[in-house]
Amino acid sequence: MASETRKVVVHLRATGDAPILKQAKFKIAGTDKFVKVIDFLRRQLHRDTLFVYVNSAFSPNPDELVIDLYNNFGFDGKLVVNYACSMAWG
Amino acid sequence: MVVSRDGTLSSTEFYVAASAFSEQWRKFNSALRQWSWVPSPKRPWISHNQVNYMEEGYLSVENVILPELNEEGHRDGDLIEKEECGCAEEDEFIDAAVLIQNDDAGARQYDFHVVYSACYRVPVLYFRAYCSDGQPLLLDDIKKDLPLNSVEQLTRSRWLFITQEEHPQLNRPWYTLHPCGTSEWMKLLQHNDDSAAQGEGIPVDKYLISWFSVVGQVFGLRIPLEMLNLGGTQ
Repeated sequence: MASETRKVVVHLRATGDAPILKQAKFKIAGTDKFVKVIDFLRRQLHRDTLFVYVNSAFSPNPDELVIDLYNNFGFDGKLVVNYACSMAWG
Repeated sequence: MVVSRDGTLSSTEFYVAASAFSEQWRKFNSALRQWSWVPSPKRPWISHNQVNYMEEGYLSVENVILPELNEEGHRDGDLIEKEECGCAEEDEFIDAAVLIQNDDAGARQYDFHVVYSACYRVPVLYFRAYCSDGQPLLLDDIKKDLPLNSVEQLTRSRWLFITQEEHPQLNRPWYTLHPCGTSEWMKLLQHNDDSAAQGEGIPVDKYLISWFSVVGQVFGLRIPLEMLNLGGTQ
């Protein structure tokens, strides 16, 4: 069972003025898309626009699979996802 | 290694970033449309002392067909003009646009230009879209090609997201993404809580890769993860 849907530990880290979540780490199926992480954050923080990024370098496309992100950018057994509340174009 | 600490670039750094970006793109997306540097037309009335002609210009990719949106309003598959790239190297399919139109009535093409803004000191995306018969598309039509997130964003901030402005180099109306917030979110991107890398900023040659990871999402365009793996910056 476990081998079929591999779980990934996601560590959500607040940056800037973003509120810190009570539960910052959770497990998610590797086959899930990254949009699930974004939607989870949106619901928790009640924000429509969030800026979500990994590896201090890029913002993953919502369609990326969590397992792919973990395999490329995971570290120490988890995928660290940073989030900020302010994301404005103009 | 030159880095951007405050999320901005100088014009010379932009040229370096653009060259590095198109080189990386070629390496990881060889089957797709390629970005190329278009030098600005020389303007004799402007003094070019101390400025390298070649470094004045913009980054361009044209005739891009956006991948299909899936039912969730996202894009499946990898990046730009998946359908068309198969034909790119076969000369008999010269009229690729017509070819696609047969199985997809909505085959629209996009031109993307990345132009440096001396005012904001950041890259700015300009784009236009047109049907296969050359008819330009208005924003309401373009909206149908955009992922759900972008459509929502358009509704929320109508005048501060996508607007039509004069292309600074071509002096024609193009659509553009608002640049005011760019340096702020670029700064956020480089933010790294407790790592030793804190404060180091984004290396200039990786700047446009980070930038495009955000900007590309407006159109549902993806960057291969290998390209995003910015040299083991764990």
